[in-house]
Amino acid sequence: MNRRKKFTVAAIGAAAAVELSACGGTPAATPSPQSTAQYNAAISAVVSPSSNEGGTIHFDNSSVPDSTDPGNTYYAFMWNTVRLYGRALITYRSVPGSGGNQIVPDLATSLGQVSDNGLTWTYHLKPDIKFEDGSTVTSQDVKYAIERTYAKDVLPNGPSYFKLLLKDPNYPGPYKDKTPDKMGLTSVDTPNSTTIVFHLQKPFADFDYVVAIPQTVPVPPAKDTGANYQLHPVSTGPYKFQSYQLDKQFTLVRNPHWSAATDPNRKQLASKFVFNLNVNADTIDNNLIHDFAELDMAGTGVQAAARAQILTSPSLRNNADNALSGFLWFTYINTKVKPLDNVHCRRAVQYAADKVAYQTAYGGPVAGGDIASTVMPPSVIGYQKFDLYQATTMPHGNVTKAKEELRACGEPNGFSTGFAFRTDRPKEKAMATAEQQALSRAGIKVTLQGYPSGKYFTNFAGVPNYVHQHDLGLAAGGWAPDWPDGYGFLYYLTAGPAISSAGNTNIEEQNDPAVNNLFTKAVATADPAARNQIWSQIDRLTMQNAVILPGVYAKSLLYRNPDLTNVYVSRYYAMYDYASIGLK
Amino acid sequence: MISFIVRRLIVTVFLLLLVSLMTFAIFFLIPRLAGQTSYELAQQYVGRNPTPAAVHAIERKLGFDQPLPVQYGRFVKGIVMGAHYDAGPDKSYCPPPCLGYSFRNQQPVWPMLISNVPVTASLAIGAAVLWLVAGIAIGVISALKRGTAFDRTAMGLALAGVSLPIFFTGLIALQLFSYKWPVFPNPQYVPLTENPLAWARNLVLPWTTLAFLYAALYARLTRAGMLETMGEDYIRTARAKGLPERTVIVTHGLRATLTPIVTIFGMDLGLLLGGAVLTEFTFSLHGLGLFTVLAIQNNDLPEILGVVMLTAFFVVIANLIVDILYAVVDPRVRY
Repeated sequence: MNRRKKFTVAAIGAAAAVELSACGGTPAATPSPQSTAQYNAAISAVVSPSSNEGGTIHFDNSSVPDSTDPGNTYYAFMWNTVRLYGRALITYRSVPGSGGNQIVPDLATSLGQVSDNGLTWTYHLKPDIKFEDGSTVTSQDVKYAIERTYAKDVLPNGPSYFKLLLKDPNYPGPYKDKTPDKMGLTSVDTPNSTTIVFHLQKPFADFDYVVAIPQTVPVPPAKDTGANYQLHPVSTGPYKFQSYQLDKQFTLVRNPHWSAATDPNRKQLASKFVFNLNVNADTIDNNLIHDFAELDMAGTGVQAAARAQILTSPSLRNNADNALSGFLWFTYINTKVKPLDNVHCRRAVQYAADKVAYQTAYGGPVAGGDIASTVMPPSVIGYQKFDLYQATTMPHGNVTKAKEELRACGEPNGFSTGFAFRTDRPKEKAMATAEQQALSRAGIKVTLQGYPSGKYFTNFAGVPNYVHQHDLGLAAGGWAPDWPDGYGFLYYLTAGPAISSAGNTNIEEQNDPAVNNLFTKAVATADPAARNQIWSQIDRLTMQNAVILPGVYAKSLLYRNPDLTNVYVSRYYAMYDYASIGLK
Repeated sequence: MISFIVRRLIVTVFLLLLVSLMTFAIFFLIPRLAGQTSYELAQQYVGRNPTPAAVHAIERKLGFDQPLPVQYGRFVKGIVMGAHYDAGPDKSYCPPPCLGYSFRNQQPVWPMLISNVPVTASLAIGAAVLWLVAGIAIGVISALKRGTAFDRTAMGLALAGVSLPIFFTGLIALQLFSYKWPVFPNPQYVPLTENPLAWARNLVLPWTTLAFLYAALYARLTRAGMLETMGEDYIRTARAKGLPERTVIVTHGLRATLTPIVTIFGMDLGLLLGGAVLTEFTFSLHGLGLFTVLAIQNNDLPEILGVVMLTAFFVVIANLIVDILYAVVDPRVRY
């Protein structure tokens, strides 16, 4: 699920979940903790805090952005990078540690004001926020940005939450909008130039998280060039585009019309940012270590060669952080493929699996991650620790318990089933092979079925009919949410209405009324603390149903160049926070 | 001579059309025959969890809903007459030769493709000069000093050059000369017109790496050719006539040996101009080779089609030049 890894925004944050999401909109004024450079220091503190200005920060990236247009991107590293040149209605707090999961106002003066029936959300814009040309940002510019997300034929990459949640889902997008001012989306009102009102089809308590997606970064209609807007998005952030050679390099320079007084979440320290694209992955690591680049833009960690080098050198290790990436690597256990339609057979798989082998296949504790026992990773708001199948207490598996469950299932001698994985993902293949051996200890015979990742969801594992016909009881998967709470993580994985005939992400086909009702209840629950309790209930129910075999809470080894200042890992983006860094 | 060139040009146009038809069939027809619907194809180019309406919109935008002959017709028409693409608020015009519209970047393929040509041309031509000079010189000396320590060392190195993959020699070169002893630190392409010195400095390592492979091949070819030629009767005659050894080797020996090498050189250079994939990938040079890798990784069919067409064009043109040179050298070829 590498593509997905890039497409999705990793979300983190657990311990302080309740207090964070309960915030009323004003960020706490506590100063950020500070630390000197040492291993893992940037996970919970700011390394090398400084207000020094100037210099050029070089980012290398082994791939390319899906788009630099804030309205047309779904890559985690782009959602982080966009903050340098775009301000959304809401954003994530720029602090290390669990506070990074907290949403705070950005263009807006406060978090959304929701009506009593939960159907109307109102935001007021801060006055005098400017575009890079000095013109003032208005609520119409924000509305226009949202309208653009409906034009999927021109801007196909970003999420579709507005179309799914707002009234007027058939709006064709501004390019086919017949109204004279292209403001035809009736579900968004702009009663004046600083107020924007959203009308929802049904209550959705997580709406603040939706408007924190960069799709609410304002776009002046007169400057919109559609598919070409990515070449120079009009900036509202501390930096603006200087140049962009598609697939090669883009550079950002200071935006003189950005005001620090209106923006506590960003800094304008470096003079320039250079983003080199399509750089060989091993070259990136060498460039970081040898001072030719400051950061890896993708933020997914160093390669195996550099990892060995960094972990064995004390001086390099002090510049590294082994951070949670927000991902869960896991295996779907299908509820329709016999005999796995019986919960005891699914539980037998849970007990028989070797979690250490799972972890090893994904790269061990540093590059792979921690052994998982829940669907939600610890980084997600609402996470509560529990372990129903001895994943952490008997990590090599409990074959005796597995055989007991098999007897309860009516298959005392075990059974046979298929295991889908992506052939072009060596870690997934290694995991499937290891689990094939582990499950055979209990008499569960697994036939491995490899598929290309590009068609995994569209043609094979994500097509329920195909899964049933080919007896694919197990399927490898990975997941990270669009926003860091239980809904963002769990809905598309575990909710019955998320099952679709192709491109399905609820591959286990769990359609449990109890789970579905909890989702319905949660999105109508305004109180964040109560809502967060529900996420954990859904997690527990899903694990009781044994439809997902958790593998590892993924981690990656990030390297920060020692020349950087104000470096810390953002809990939400699960990589260094690009909006704050500077140079010594 | 002119009619020969005209005949060859006409054949070249037909050849390129044939290549386009075959490439189009491989990338567009075979997935259909394998059962992939246009809807499934479109799904690959929409973000996560797309609505069916979004997939249909992309399907229409990219023309997947059209019959294949219509899609091919539009492709050929774009090459000849250019094409208009819906970029949102406006239609953007892609002038001929417009090689289609990238699914991934939402941009016309041709400008992106052509922006990579200077990098690949700089790499290929620089390396070609290096390998021609080094390869032929080593080959000639080895042949003349057959069996000596020089010959054995040179041929041993040549064997290594042919055997070692570029992503190995390239990484070793980078590790040694960019990171350990930063003689050529952090090589990044700088346009020749911008800073000729930086252009050359940054290309030394890629040139050397690429030339190492080809010089090895050419040294072995030259050596074999020279050994054969120098044993011919006319060489003995030339020596018997009292010609200086230098004239015998260069004018009589090497000239005959070079003929097949020129043919191979034409093919090699043509192919390399279409993208030195491994070298560009290893050194992160944004040329046609890296463009191709990215196009394949992203399953961006118009980009793949574009790069295949451009490579075919370079190979065909290189061969045309070689043929014309042949015709100049040997008039019998013209008929």
